Amino acid sequence: MKIVIANGTQQAEFILEMFKSHENKIIVINSSRQLAKEITNKEHVSVIVGSPWRSFILEEADVYGADVFIALCEKDTDNYACCILAKRMFNVKKCICVVSNPNNVELYKKLGIDSVVSSTYLLAQSIKSESSVESLIKTLSLENNKIMVMETPVLTNYAIANKRIMDINFPKYASIAAIYRNYQMIIPSGQVVIYPKDTLLIVCDPIDQNRILDYVKRAEITSGEVKTSILRVGEKPTDAPKKGKK
Amino acid sequence: MKNKILIVGCGRLGASIANHENEMGGNVIVIDEDESSFDRLDDSFSGFKITGDATDLAILESAYIKTASEIIITTGNDNVNLFLAHLAAQRYQVPEVYVRFSDPEKSLLISGMNIRAIYPFELSLNKFIALENGGDNK
Repeated sequence: MKIVIANGTQQAEFILEMFKSHENKIIVINSSRQLAKEITNKEHVSVIVGSPWRSFILEEADVYGADVFIALCEKDTDNYACCILAKRMFNVKKCICVVSNPNNVELYKKLGIDSVVSSTYLLAQSIKSESSVESLIKTLSLENNKIMVMETPVLTNYAIANKRIMDINFPKYASIAAIYRNYQMIIPSGQVVIYPKDTLLIVCDPIDQNRILDYVKRAEITSGEVKTSILRVGEKPTDAPKKGKK
Repeated sequence: MKNKILIVGCGRLGASIANHENEMGGNVIVIDEDESSFDRLDDSFSGFKITGDATDLAILESAYIKTASEIIITTGNDNVNLFLAHLAAQRYQVPEVYVRFSDPEKSLLISGMNIRAIYPFELSLNKFIALENGGDNK
């Protein structure tokens, strides 16, 4: 892979360290002569000195057709300009734009940048998912919170325990992606029986998260009547499960 | 308020355009980060002055970008100017977008969009060539 790293200090070194190998050709650009020197001394790579939003610098660095372009400038608009230039004029396959203002994530994407990353945004997302549901359930959101992957254990009193997947009438809006049992992963089909102590990996839309958890956690006897209340930090607790039921 | 003219950056060029448009009777709104830059405006300037970072959508929207008929982008940073021009043309579809770039190569990144650019460098160069070739243009 041909990887371009534009500006950045520790992040640049870290990424460089991570991708350093024979298969990868890494191009480093830095607008500060001082930092360029430091990176060269530490990582033993040649660094092109210049502003990565100037096209002659990208030309000098031979960025043409690179697989990944990572913009790590301090200012969001500088990163925007680098990525747009790399994309339009240098046919870079994928541009990753790092921003400090989380509001710029959606905005920059709409303006045509493939991937926009904000550490604040990611931090907020992970705090949200860490603290969202009861401690037993781990969640992971993908594609900027458009897809939710949840890990939930099966307890003995659950209605779905000891039944075949084809018999439990699993809701259409979610899917069991995998079952983790005795340190082994099982790809589920209709015939597979869900046992207590299994861990289910469920994929769904984030808005259905509470709804599907309610479904999974239905107890055997009361089936569907008693619902586990789920506390989410920073969200109204009752909205999601009701949606679309009627 | 009709025919709103939004001017981003109240430097020498931005302020001069603001004064000119104000005299022509336009409804002018000027945005700049630095409040003291509004000192460049004439005493007779009757438009709005907004202090804030124009790359912040809330500031732009408080300056009526959604209904502006014209936007003139003259901040001192080409990358900010490029971003704002793309934003005005693509997201807000402002009918007339003008932008000033120090770097003429930025023209490559606005082709095909409804953006009109001013390059002081090229203007100066052309003027020099005209002056050198006999100075008939004044």
